[in-house]
Amino acid sequence: MNISPVHFIAVPLLAAFLIPIIGRFSKEFVKVIPGIVLLYLSYVAISLFPVALKTPIVEVLAGWKPPFGISLVYGPLAAYLTALITLMGFVIWVYSYKFIIREPIEKYYMLFMLLITGSTGIILTGDIFNMFVFLEITAIAAYSLTAFLRDKDGAEAAFKYLLIGSFASSFFLLAVMLLYASTGTLNLAEITSKIDSVAMSTRILILILFLVGLGIEAELFPLNGWAPDAYSQAPSPIGAIFGGIVVKAAIYALMRLVFLLFNFSEVFHFLLIMGIITMIVAEMSAMKQQQIKRMLAFSSIGQMGLVIIAFSVGTSDSVQAALFQMFNHAVIKALLFFAAGYLVFHSGSKKISALDGLGRDKPLTSFFFALGALAIIGLPPFAGFWSKLYILISVADAGLITAVVLVLIASVIEAVYYLRVVSRLYFNKESAQETEVRRTPLTGLLAMGVLALVIIVVGIYPDYIWNLLKPAAEELVNKAEYIRIALLK
Amino acid sequence: MTSITGILGITFGAALLTFLLHHLVPKLRNIVAILAVGATGYIAWQMPIDSYMTHFTIGSFDIIWGNSEYSKLFALLISVLGFFALIYSHDFMAGKKRLGYYYMNFLIAIGSMYGIVYSQDLISLFFFWEIMTWSSFLLIIYCCKDSQQVGLKYFIFSAIGAYSILIALVLIYANLGSVTFIKVFAQFGSMSFEVQLSSVILLLIGFGVKSAIMPLHVWAPKSYAISPSPFTAVFSGALSKMGVFGIGIVLFKLASQGGYYIYVKEILAWIGGITALLATFYAVFQTDAKKLLAYSSVGQLGYIVVGLAIGTPLSIMAALFLAVLHAAFKGALFLATGAVYHRTGTTDMNEVSGLVRKMPYTFLTALMGIIAVSGVPPLGGFAGKWMLYQSLIESDHYFLVIVVFASSTAAFLYLYRYIFSLFLGQEEKEFEDVKEVSWLMRIPMLTLVIFTLVVGVAPGLLLEPISGAMGYLGVGATQFETTVIWNAWGNKIDMFTIMNSIGILFGIAFVFITVKGFKSGRYVTTKDIHTSGEVPTENENLTYAVDFYKPFERALGWVLKPSVDKFYNKIATNLEHAFDHLRYIYTGNGQTYAMYVVIFLVILIAFSELIFGVKL
Amino acid sequence: MDINWIKILGLIVTVVMAFFTGALYGGLARVVTARIQNRFGPPALQNLFDIIKLYSKKTSINHGWMQHLGPVWAITASTTTLLFIPILRDSTFFTNLSFDGDLIFLMYIMVFGSLGMALGAGQTGNPNSAIGVSRGLSQLVGYKVPFILSLVALMIQFQTTNLNDLLAVQDSFIHWNIFQSPFAFLAGILAFLGMMGYKPFDIVFAPAEIASGPPSEFGSKYLGMMLTSRSIFTFAKLVLFVNIFFGGADNIFILLIKTFLLYMIPLLIGIVNPRFRTEQAVRFFWGFPTAFGIIAVILAAW
Repeated sequence: MNISPVHFIAVPLLAAFLIPIIGRFSKEFVKVIPGIVLLYLSYVAISLFPVALKTPIVEVLAGWKPPFGISLVYGPLAAYLTALITLMGFVIWVYSYKFIIREPIEKYYMLFMLLITGSTGIILTGDIFNMFVFLEITAIAAYSLTAFLRDKDGAEAAFKYLLIGSFASSFFLLAVMLLYASTGTLNLAEITSKIDSVAMSTRILILILFLVGLGIEAELFPLNGWAPDAYSQAPSPIGAIFGGIVVKAAIYALMRLVFLLFNFSEVFHFLLIMGIITMIVAEMSAMKQQQIKRMLAFSSIGQMGLVIIAFSVGTSDSVQAALFQMFNHAVIKALLFFAAGYLVFHSGSKKISALDGLGRDKPLTSFFFALGALAIIGLPPFAGFWSKLYILISVADAGLITAVVLVLIASVIEAVYYLRVVSRLYFNKESAQETEVRRTPLTGLLAMGVLALVIIVVGIYPDYIWNLLKPAAEELVNKAEYIRIALLK
Repeated sequence: MTSITGILGITFGAALLTFLLHHLVPKLRNIVAILAVGATGYIAWQMPIDSYMTHFTIGSFDIIWGNSEYSKLFALLISVLGFFALIYSHDFMAGKKRLGYYYMNFLIAIGSMYGIVYSQDLISLFFFWEIMTWSSFLLIIYCCKDSQQVGLKYFIFSAIGAYSILIALVLIYANLGSVTFIKVFAQFGSMSFEVQLSSVILLLIGFGVKSAIMPLHVWAPKSYAISPSPFTAVFSGALSKMGVFGIGIVLFKLASQGGYYIYVKEILAWIGGITALLATFYAVFQTDAKKLLAYSSVGQLGYIVVGLAIGTPLSIMAALFLAVLHAAFKGALFLATGAVYHRTGTTDMNEVSGLVRKMPYTFLTALMGIIAVSGVPPLGGFAGKWMLYQSLIESDHYFLVIVVFASSTAAFLYLYRYIFSLFLGQEEKEFEDVKEVSWLMRIPMLTLVIFTLVVGVAPGLLLEPISGAMGYLGVGATQFETTVIWNAWGNKIDMFTIMNSIGILFGIAFVFITVKGFKSGRYVTTKDIHTSGEVPTENENLTYAVDFYKPFERALGWVLKPSVDKFYNKIATNLEHAFDHLRYIYTGNGQTYAMYVVIFLVILIAFSELIFGVKL
Repeated sequence: MDINWIKILGLIVTVVMAFFTGALYGGLARVVTARIQNRFGPPALQNLFDIIKLYSKKTSINHGWMQHLGPVWAITASTTTLLFIPILRDSTFFTNLSFDGDLIFLMYIMVFGSLGMALGAGQTGNPNSAIGVSRGLSQLVGYKVPFILSLVALMIQFQTTNLNDLLAVQDSFIHWNIFQSPFAFLAGILAFLGMMGYKPFDIVFAPAEIASGPPSEFGSKYLGMMLTSRSIFTFAKLVLFVNIFFGGADNIFILLIKTFLLYMIPLLIGIVNPRFRTEQAVRFFWGFPTAFGIIAVILAAW
């Protein structure tokens, strides 16, 4: 079997179908399958990466040539994002292996696989309707996972997510319909080449619909009401998936469409302002949160605001910085969710105030949380530092000093609420009551350790990743190039 | 490994190693830490001057590390102080918990300081600056009550400072396309006036936070007070000097290229002077010994900033001289206070009393320390103060010299209170069994104060490297010899004569008073005193410590009332309240969220002309 | 290094002279006070007798090393102060060490003695001593401000910080600094009142209230040495002020007249005035004297 980008979608989809069936026979095997799948996909992603950098791969499904067939476009950007998603997916699986002990395990892994399918699909597809389909797959899997714990709060959160998510789907679908009506095609590259002939007002209407539809998934303020609840009620690895995978795919979709179809300065200005508002409101809201995972959720939203700011500066450098920030955020936020998951588990409470002195009882988990916190604030020598620096420099290059200042103010707020938690962890509680000693399982520590290592290595030597992102950024900025690739011209 | 990479590798490597050894072979941990800092100190001492020693690129940034005489001065300061503090830590920290954490962060802090002084570009400077911030933050929250709030306050101020530096960095990068020192120093003047001035101000704010310049000092007293004493010594002695290091570079390498230079200097000098004065007044009324010393540090850094900001050769010399010396005497004082804490468990000056006979060596350290701080000859503080006053008077800063002098005189108040409350006065029963600390703790303290004595007699020994460092800043040193310093008017001070005079007279008087009636002396307790005929009982409290300077407080009146700290706290509380309200945007109600979506859509459609320039 | 024996002889003579003069002035002060209060008072040499008596007494107790060192410290500081002040103008014999130090040095070394004494007093554990020290240091901060202002005014006026240069410019009566820089003189002389410690600024020792404060635990040789130190220091301060404001002196006789007259100023003011509380004293110094000092500096800078 030749490896090809199709596997990113096909293999996890197949696995998702097989898991419930196999689950009838062996629970243990079910737990291993996603690992094997993700390991394989990671292998595919890594081995295809250099190929994509040289000559982007375009896979045509169902035998029709683009623009008529359904196509997968595997350029540098898609290669980078799929690699990120599959690798993160693998780490999340390692972590879940011992963390998810509650039944129904096979459903968890099935939904997990569907989520991977949907997210990679969004990124790979060159067809706007397919994008909708994958978005729906992702969303439905996400709703179900939010309610996975089957408690009252989870159900409520899932309901809210579903409610808002359905808005997203309908607006997105509406936008797709309008696009089809005005251009007569669903192929993204084809649409791009024809979009200039569409009346401006229609175009803006489509844009608005996309903005609302994808803004919901990309956690744009004020459309992100669902996010804090969903993040905090879902199991911790799911929080990591939301922050590390789902949102990334949504941001990708939004930015891809904006860069291809709505490449006006007004749109970028609007997104810049929305990004700043999103970031600031989220960081401010995070400040007084009582629950650690809710705090992490708001922090995620804030980080997405930062990513949107960087994207909407619109230069190749800033896009590169944004992609770098996406990578760092995926890794760091996953680490934080992982660590928070076990901290909540050990302290027996979701409250931040229950974390006093855990640094002594759970040194490694606390250490990972502290490291993640320092990294996400953007302190060297951790990964977050470089991406923030690159973003700020590219923003300043565009002459937006006010935005730089606002980003840094948000960073100060971020530092406050993260370090509050860190200092609680390392607070020497005088009389720590003897709780039953529950150890963080090895797989959990392994997953966190790998992420921590990545954070430090990238923090000390960011060049490798940074250079990988250059072609990806250029692909996103340069729409003629995309059309050329996608239409196999 | 005689290079900067070697120094950084050794310190950061040792940091990890100590953390690992803590769990494997705890005994080696301390030795590794001490050896690492000692070795790096030796390397720093031997390292040739080369401003382009290590060069590589990260991302698109040129990273340059190099050694200049200016770097060398500060690097040696870091390593010597760090070395002694670590030796001291061996016994001081013995038996405490989480020592791996302590040593690791200690070494990271030291390594990052090395990084700062060897950086020849803003990126790596900022990189190490931030590492220094978080490692010191983690040490502040190492123990004790209030550590969370204090640490957080420290971090917030440090972050504000660091981000000021970052904004300046980004501004400069956007304008010059590079932030290596070579390029920035050469072309800073070519940028537009606004950019120049704002980057200078931002950089000064950034460095000012670390050197605790008012009104950015509020983090300092409590952070100094609760961090472990050996680290406090480094904190006040070396870490705060990083701010001084940066201010020196900003003033003489960047700001000097613009027409606003003179104004920036004047304003900064006054800020420094007022810092010195107010911090001294605050120090007078502290009841915690470490807080007192902390305010004293803020004040001393004020002098240093004054010296730098005046910008005449003599004043810079004075500033750098005081910077090095402050590390020695304040380091010694913090270590002495730590020794008291080690034996009595508190640094509250209202509680501890009369330790002089129990801890003679610590007392000696404290005594020499306060003499050096007060600037009384013959210890080193005097030479520094003398140069500072001379330079202020010469450069027509008549009122500033008054401010500085007043604060320097007021310093006697708190210094006396410090030594009186801890060591002199009534010997309390509570502290009857207090013993002197071990030699491993005594030697570092005593070495540091002996250094101040040596430098006091022969300031030229220290002025020699300082004049080299001034060469880097582009300012020539003034005339000096080993023991003699001249001012610009040709007046001189000869420390050798002074020392001889004091030494001989002291010797004669001492021999006289000791030999005369030598046998008759009998020690009596501090209860056995003149009390107008009443005999004090054992339990009668004769200690005079609480509100020691009440009359002075009354004299000052309103001066101390306005508190910038309270002002900040108020802002913080109000902001938190505002944030707390703000977070109810997220009501938790799905319908509200749905409404947000609809409203957002409606607004976009309705105002599309405004937002996108196209009417729907 | 060749040792200049003449110079060393000069030093010794200076110190001895300072001691006797200081002690004599102290005695005369008691006589003057007594006469004003319509008493006879002790003989003029009473202070000298007291000191000799104290040295001849035995000490049977001590409070530890710091107390032992306190008087030593004080006398070292006062003598050093004296040695760095030129006693007579244009005199090779009495220049002493004044070229190796300057006004800033003098200001600091003058505090050195009080610090030593305060430390010695501190070890005795007597609360009265501590209270006295607390008051003394507070008052010190008070009068140092006008004092430094007046000195700075002179320093910038004559572009020097050395006392010999200040003497050189006061070459004739009308060039005395009291006339050249009257505001500096006002500030300086008011600070001098505080420095001398007579009423209204004697709350440090306040005999009736805190049993003479810092020295209350000192007796015999310790007290003797402290009084010796005080005599020397009094003379040193007088000579310093005579040098700064009154053109110095060409010979010993003129010096004695000038210093005695100067000594009478704080004494006479003290006799007719009640005592200031500490905060009142501090505020007093920060009021008019400081204002005069500021005017002096402005005038000098102009």
